[in-house]
Amino acid sequence: MSREINGIGLGLRYDLATELLERRPASVSWVEIHPENYVDRGGRYREMLELARRDWPVVTHGLSSCLGDPAPFDAGYLSDLRTFLSDLEVPWHSEHLCLGAVDGRFFHDLLPLPFTDEAVRTASQRLSEMRDAIGVPLAFENVSYYATQEPNGLAEADFVVEVLERADAKLLLDVNNIYVNAENFGFDPKAYVDRIPAERVVQIHVAGHLLRDDGLRIDTHGEPVPEDVYDLLDYALRRIGPVPVLLERDNNVPPLDVLLREMERLRAIYHTAMEAGIVP
Amino acid sequence: MFPERAEAMHRICFDMEPSESDLGLLGSRDRWLVYRDLVRSRLTHIVAAALPRTKNAIGEHAFGRAVDEWLSTGGPKTRYLRHVPAELATFAIPVWRGTEAPWVADLASYELAAWNVRHAPRDPSSVAEFAFDRKPVITTAIEVLRLTHPVHDAPTPALGYERGPVWLCVYRDATHQPITTKLNAIAADLLDAWQRADRTVAQSVEQVAAAHETGIGPAFVEKLATLIADFIDRRIILGGQSPPRDPGQNA
Repeated sequence: MSREINGIGLGLRYDLATELLERRPASVSWVEIHPENYVDRGGRYREMLELARRDWPVVTHGLSSCLGDPAPFDAGYLSDLRTFLSDLEVPWHSEHLCLGAVDGRFFHDLLPLPFTDEAVRTASQRLSEMRDAIGVPLAFENVSYYATQEPNGLAEADFVVEVLERADAKLLLDVNNIYVNAENFGFDPKAYVDRIPAERVVQIHVAGHLLRDDGLRIDTHGEPVPEDVYDLLDYALRRIGPVPVLLERDNNVPPLDVLLREMERLRAIYHTAMEAGIVP
Repeated sequence: MFPERAEAMHRICFDMEPSESDLGLLGSRDRWLVYRDLVRSRLTHIVAAALPRTKNAIGEHAFGRAVDEWLSTGGPKTRYLRHVPAELATFAIPVWRGTEAPWVADLASYELAAWNVRHAPRDPSSVAEFAFDRKPVITTAIEVLRLTHPVHDAPTPALGYERGPVWLCVYRDATHQPITTKLNAIAADLLDAWQRADRTVAQSVEQVAAAHETGIGPAFVEKLATLIADFIDRRIILGGQSPPRDPGQNA
């Protein structure tokens, strides 16, 4: 039986695992892992996971089964993933609403889908297929993107909502990605959050991003969380209610205390928003 | 429409040079070049992390060219970032044999072996006792290398390595680090046979000794016992396979 995921979690990453697993701070309520880093792998990664599971419930967030890929899923991998998720007793698993591979060649990055009805059909069908294959609830994450969309397509929030509704899916709402996209393409991030059906959100991601000299924001997960993203998290929590929030830090990882201070900030926002009650 | 766009994204990221027609198809030219940089820098970073001495030996330019040429064959086939260096090495090592100093290909093979054992799957959880009349069980995190230069001796000498046969065992220790131990030709063949595990320990010893035209006398047995004890101590040998069930036994 899966353990409950509540409050503020932290991504279990190699660069911070040693300190995290030694200190086991109580302010970390749960951890998130990328299954691709653990499936069919032993050594330090497996040890990290086993040590983390002693104290924390685990949620999984996939990197390689993107919902927009044109090719069929790899049935062998989905079978391995199902076994892995079952062993971990995760309450849900998430993937990305993007393109991750073409013709069996992997980008190892998250490329944007066109916000078209064709892409909605592809993503919603794949989401249903994958959900059936892995045997646990499946959420998807809204991604950041940097290339301008075609003018006759859907707005990003409408695209996300279409996939959610058509696949009867859950959402991992990444507020940093919304903010990055809003700044890069000039829309109101709060209006985006307003479009999201609150009952479908199971988890929130928060991270920092890089602001380049040319003004383009890149979702690096390698910077501190900026004030505007904290503000958007506050807004989202007041709209959506008490869903677990994860701090993502994958690159340029600072000492654990720096991340714990960011988590304290997230916790304060979380509790303040919950005390204020949900704003419909 | 979408599959055509996806193909164009793929070519922009992995072709040696992105074509203007693909960039024109997708629009937002400069931003697609950002994606090209993001994809390629992540992959270059992981192969450089796996092969740091090789990169240092041949220089950033030649290393980068090898990565570019490999990517232009279509990009990684693996979903696992940790397996990307092996795909690059499979492409690049034969190239480096022809273009770089004779020991560079050995160095890349050696670094890749260390990377592979670090990230190899878990050992089997259930293993029977080691016995000569059983097939052996060897750790999954091990590679046997037959090289022609002692590239495991670090740092790399300024003038490179002298040619000479080297047999190495690279395995993962209890702290998850890759450890290198030197073998002789017979020990390397024994370890190979034990990895295949298609014969009992006794049968594989007889086969390897015969192949090396070596009699199994007291000296051989003494060295074999020392080797096996060392491999068990290092957890290279985990034990033996359970004997097949006697069909006469009650279920």
